[in-house]
Amino acid sequence: MFTLNNHLELRRVTISSLLTCIYLPSIISVISYKGILYSVGSGSSFYILVLIFIAELIKSFYLSSNNEIQSKKNKAKIRVSDILKAFGFLLGVTFCFFLGIILFGAPVLDKHEETLMLSSLLTLLSVFPLVAHTGVELAMQLLFGVKHFSKDTIIAMLVNNALLCVCGAWIGAVVIPLDWNTPWQQWPIPCYLGAIGGYLLSNVMTVLKVTMMSASHKYKFLNFFVNIINKLHVSK
Amino acid sequence: MKEKWNFILYLIWFSYLIMSATLMFGHGFLLSRKTLSDVSECVGQDLIQCDKKSGASTVCSESERIERILNNPGSPLICPLVSRRVVLILVDALRYDFTEYNPNLENPLHYQNRLPVIYKTLKKWPEKTRIFRFMADPPTTTFQRVKALVTGSLPTFVDASSNFAAMELHEDNIIDQVTKSGGHAVLLGDDTWARLLPQRWLRSHALYSFHTWDLDTVDTEVDSKIYDELKKNDWNILLAHYLGVDHAGHRYGPNHAEMARKLNETNSRLEKIIDVLPSDAIMYVIGDHGMTETGDHGGETKAERTAAMFAYYKGGLAGDGEETAPGREIQQTDLAPTVCAALALPPPAPSLGNVLLPLLPHMKPSNTLLHLTNNLKQVTQYLVRYGEESQQVSLDRLAELINSTRDQIEKASNIVSEEDLKTYVADVRTLMDNIRAIFREVWVEFDSLAMLRALLLLLLAIFFNWIIADGISIDRIPHVFSSSFVPTGLISMAICISLCYMGHYWQLFTDLESAIILTTGLISGAVTGALVILHWDGISQKWYENRTPFYERFARTVLFGSSAVLASNSYIIEEGAVLSYLSLSVIGLIAWNIGSLKALALWAGCGLVFALTRPYRGCREEQGDCWTAGDNLNSGQASRAALVIALGSVAAVVAVARRQVSWRGYGIVIAGIFTCAHWAVGWGSLGSPNRSRLLARVAWLFIAAMFGLLLKKDRNGPVTPLIVCGLLFYLANCLVLGASYAPTAALALISGFLILNMVSLMKNDGSSKSSLSSRSSSTLACLWALVASYNFYGSGHHPTLSHISWTPVFHAGDPNYSAFGPVVSFILLILNLFGMPMMFGATVPLLALWGKNGAMGPRSQLASVFSLCLKYSLCFAIRVLACALSATIHCRHLMIWGVFTPKLIFEYGACGAALFGSLIGAALTAWHLSPNKSS
Repeated sequence: MFTLNNHLELRRVTISSLLTCIYLPSIISVISYKGILYSVGSGSSFYILVLIFIAELIKSFYLSSNNEIQSKKNKAKIRVSDILKAFGFLLGVTFCFFLGIILFGAPVLDKHEETLMLSSLLTLLSVFPLVAHTGVELAMQLLFGVKHFSKDTIIAMLVNNALLCVCGAWIGAVVIPLDWNTPWQQWPIPCYLGAIGGYLLSNVMTVLKVTMMSASHKYKFLNFFVNIINKLHVSK
Repeated sequence: MKEKWNFILYLIWFSYLIMSATLMFGHGFLLSRKTLSDVSECVGQDLIQCDKKSGASTVCSESERIERILNNPGSPLICPLVSRRVVLILVDALRYDFTEYNPNLENPLHYQNRLPVIYKTLKKWPEKTRIFRFMADPPTTTFQRVKALVTGSLPTFVDASSNFAAMELHEDNIIDQVTKSGGHAVLLGDDTWARLLPQRWLRSHALYSFHTWDLDTVDTEVDSKIYDELKKNDWNILLAHYLGVDHAGHRYGPNHAEMARKLNETNSRLEKIIDVLPSDAIMYVIGDHGMTETGDHGGETKAERTAAMFAYYKGGLAGDGEETAPGREIQQTDLAPTVCAALALPPPAPSLGNVLLPLLPHMKPSNTLLHLTNNLKQVTQYLVRYGEESQQVSLDRLAELINSTRDQIEKASNIVSEEDLKTYVADVRTLMDNIRAIFREVWVEFDSLAMLRALLLLLLAIFFNWIIADGISIDRIPHVFSSSFVPTGLISMAICISLCYMGHYWQLFTDLESAIILTTGLISGAVTGALVILHWDGISQKWYENRTPFYERFARTVLFGSSAVLASNSYIIEEGAVLSYLSLSVIGLIAWNIGSLKALALWAGCGLVFALTRPYRGCREEQGDCWTAGDNLNSGQASRAALVIALGSVAAVVAVARRQVSWRGYGIVIAGIFTCAHWAVGWGSLGSPNRSRLLARVAWLFIAAMFGLLLKKDRNGPVTPLIVCGLLFYLANCLVLGASYAPTAALALISGFLILNMVSLMKNDGSSKSSLSSRSSSTLACLWALVASYNFYGSGHHPTLSHISWTPVFHAGDPNYSAFGPVVSFILLILNLFGMPMMFGATVPLLALWGKNGAMGPRSQLASVFSLCLKYSLCFAIRVLACALSATIHCRHLMIWGVFTPKLIFEYGACGAALFGSLIGAALTAWHLSPNKSS
C-alpha cells in the first residue's frame, strides 16, 4: 500500500503532528493557568510567538532531516542569503496578513499592536512551516497554486495546516459582535485563539487519520472515517 | 423568443408573492395605534358662576360650585383646587416580591427581605403608606413602559403620528400638563426621559442608559443630586429614575449577591428620602416592570408584569378597607391620572386609567366626585376622538362605551352618602377596566394566525422558486417558459381573485385582502409545485451530475448564515461589519479560485472600497461607545471637505463613464453637472437655497429623460443600456443622499465594477455550457445581494426608525405643494433608503453579460439573466423570511421593538427595492436583446 518513502514520510508527519498536539495545548494551558490568556493580543505576549517559532523550527528540522544521503546535500545548501530571503519573505507575508485583516474589518487607526500580533501568529503557523520545509520559491509556488502536490505528503499536511489555521481565525471572528461583554471578546483574542484552534484541529485530524489508516488493515470500517477526514482536507 | 415577456411576468408574479405574504405578516405583527395630539384642558373653579339670580354677587362657596358642576354633565373638565407636589422615584425592574418582607424567613434569597424600610413604614404608619402590585402591560421594555406611565395609555410599536421618526413624545402626558400649567419638573437619571420629552425640564441630569453592565454610575449620580433637589421647593414634580436593579438583573439575574447589594442600596436610599421628604410632597416609588428568574424582561409573564408601587405621604392617604390592602393589584395606566390629580391637573388626554383614591390624600366627598367626573369626561373625550380618527375599534362598541361613561357622569350628582360614593367608585373602576380591556385587545395582542399563514406562504414561494432557479438547467429554461406555464399561473390567479371578490360580495367572509393573498399564494404554490414535478427528471439529473464547486457552496452557506444571524440582536446591531466581512470572504474565495494576481488585486480593491465606506457607517444607539462619542449626527450641512469629495467623486465617475456609453454619455454628464451645481450653489451660508433646489429639479428632469431614452433600442445589445441604467441610479442616489454621503454611492459603484471584472475572470472549462452555468450561478447572485445589503449600511443608514433622514424629501423643494406630492416624497424616501439594493438589482444582468460572452446566443443569454434575477430576488426573500421568523420567535423579546421589528421593516423595504430593481434590469435586457442577431 505504501511505498517505503511514503511510509517514512507518513511517520514523520504523524510524529510532527503529535508534537504539535502536545506543545501547543501545553503553552495555552500554562498561560491560562497563569491567568494571562487574555493578554495574548498585546506585545507583552511576544514570548509565545518565540516559543511557537522555536517549536516549529525544530519540527521542520525533524521533517527535513531526510534520508542520510539527502540530508548531507541539504546541509551543504543552506546559506545565509537563503535565510535572509526567507525572513524577508515572512515579513512581507506578515504585512500582507496585517493589511488583509484590516480590510476584513479590524480597526484601521488603532489597535495596530494587536493586529500585528495576530498577523505574525498567522504567518508563523501557516506560512513559516512551509517556507522552512521547502524554501521560499517553492512555498510561493505552492501558495499561489502554481505547483500541485500529491496526497499524504508532508507538503499536503503543511498546506492543510495552513488553511485550517486561517479558517480558524476566520471563524473565531464570529463571536466578536456578540454583546456578552466578556474579556475574551476583545480584539484579537477570538481570532488568535481560533487560529491556534484551527491549527491544532488540523494536526489532531492528521494523527487520527494516520492511526485509523494503520488500524484499518484490521478493521475495515475505519476506512469510512479516513475517507471523511480526507474529504475535509481536500475541500479547500 | 416567445418566452421573453413570460420571464418578466414571472418575475412580477414572484415579487407579488413575496411582497403580499410579507404584507400579511405585517398586518398580524405590527401593532399600531393612532396617536392624537389632543391636550386635556381644565377650567379654573373661580370661573364657574353660581346659578343665583342675585346678579352682581357671584361669589359662592366651593361646595355650591362643585354641586353646580356635577349637576351639569356637559361641563368641561374642572381643575381641582388643592395641589401637592409629587416625588416619583422609578426603580427600574422593581418586582413586587423584592418589596415583600418576611421576618420568619430563615435563608432569604439574594432578592428577598432586602427592602425592610417598606415593611417598617407600613407597620408604623399604615394610614400614610400604601404598597400595591403595579401591573404592567406588555411589552415590558423600559422605553414602552415609560411612555405608558407618562401618558397613561398602552403603547404599541407603531404609534402612528404625523412624525414618527423622532423619539419625542407627541401625546399629552404628565410632564406636559405640569409645564403647561406653569409648574416645573426636575429629572434625574435615565436619559430615556430626556429623549422622550426634551426641553420640558427645569433641571435635568440625564445619563446614558444603554451600558447594561454598569451597575452604579447612574445611581450614584442621581444620589448625589436628589437630596439637594428635595430641599428645594421650585419644582412640582421630581422624577428620579434608578437603573441599578435592572442592570444587576440583566447582568447577574435576580438571585445574585450584586442584586442584594443594589437592593440594600435602594433600601437605605428610601429611608433617607422618607426622612427628608417635604411635608407637602407625596412620594411614589414604582417599578416599571418586573423581571424573569434570569433577569430579563420584555415579555408578558406574570413575573415580568408584576412591578411594585409604594406610596408615602406624611399627611395620610385616603381610602380604607379592601382598597388599601397591601398587595392589591392596580394597573400602570392608573398612575398618570392619579399623579395628575395629586398635582391638581386634569388627566392627560390619551390616558385610559382611573384615579386611584387610596393613593391620594384625604379629601371631601365633593372633591372626590370632582376627580372622578374629570376622569370620566377625559376618557369620554378620548373615546370620541379616537373613534373619529381610527376604525380599529368598531363603532358600535365605541358608542356603547361612550354611553355608559356619560351615564356614570350623570349619576355623579345624585351621590349623597358615603355608601353611595363607595359603590360609585367601584362602578367607575369596573367601567374603566372594561374600556382598557377592549383597547388592549386591539393594541397589545398579535394576530398569530395571520403571521403563521404569511410565514407558510413565504416558505412555499421561496422553496419552489429556489428549486426552479437552481434545479432547472439553463438550456431548459427557455423551453419551460415558452410553454403555457406562466399564462396558466396568471389565469389561475385571476380566477382566484374573482372568486374572492364574489365570496366577499355574497358576504361569505369579511377580510377580502387576506383571502386574496392566501388563495393566490396557495394556488401559485400549487402551480410552481406542478412545474417542479413535471420537470423532476431534469432537476434530479442536474443535481446528480453537478458537483458544485466549493466556493458556490460557501457562498450559499454565507447567505444562509447572514440570514440566520438576523435572529440575534447583537448581529443585527453590527450587521454592517458582518456583511462586509462575509462579502469580502466570498470575493476572496472566488479570487482564490481564479488564482491570478489580477484577481488578488481586485479583491484588495474591494476590501479597500469597503474600508473606505467605514467612516460613513454611523452608529446606532445600542452601539454604546460610538453613540456616546457623538458620531451619530447624520444630517446637517456638509463640511467643506465633504463637499469637495462629493463633487470630485461625481466628476470622476461621470468623466470616466462618459466615454464608455457613446451618445448616452452626454445626458449623464449634464445630469452630473447639475447635481454638482445643486450642491455647490446650495452650500454654506452664502448659498442660495432656491436656485439650488431649481438645479436639483433640473438634474431630476435629466435623469428621468435619460430613463425614458433607455427605451431606444441599442444595436450592440443590452450591456450599454444596463450600464447607463446603473449610472442613472448612481446619480439619483447621489442626489438623495446629499453632498455629505454622496461619495458612498461612488464607492458602491466601484465595488460593483470591481466584482464585475472579477466575475469575468472566473474560470470555465471552455465549453459554452459550463460557462453559462458558472455565469448564472448562485454564487454571483448571493454575492451581489450581500454587497447590495452591505451598501445600505455603507451609505450611512441603519435599520432604526430614528435613523431615517427626512432631508432628502425636501432637497428639491417641498413636494407637498404639488398635487402628487405624497407620491414624490415617498419615492424620494425609498430611493434614499434602498437606492443601493435597487441599483444593484438593476445591474444584475451585467453579471451574466459583462466581459466576453460571444459563445452565448441571445436566447440563452436571456435565460441566464432571468435565472440570475430570480436568484438575486430569492436572496432578499430569504433574508425577509429570516427576519419574519426571528420577529415571530422573539415577539416578546426585550429588544423586539427596538431592533427586530425595525429590521423586519427595513428588510422588507430592501427586498421590495431589490425586486423592483431586478425587474427593471430584466426588462431592459429583454427589450434590447434582438432575437435575429446570430450568436
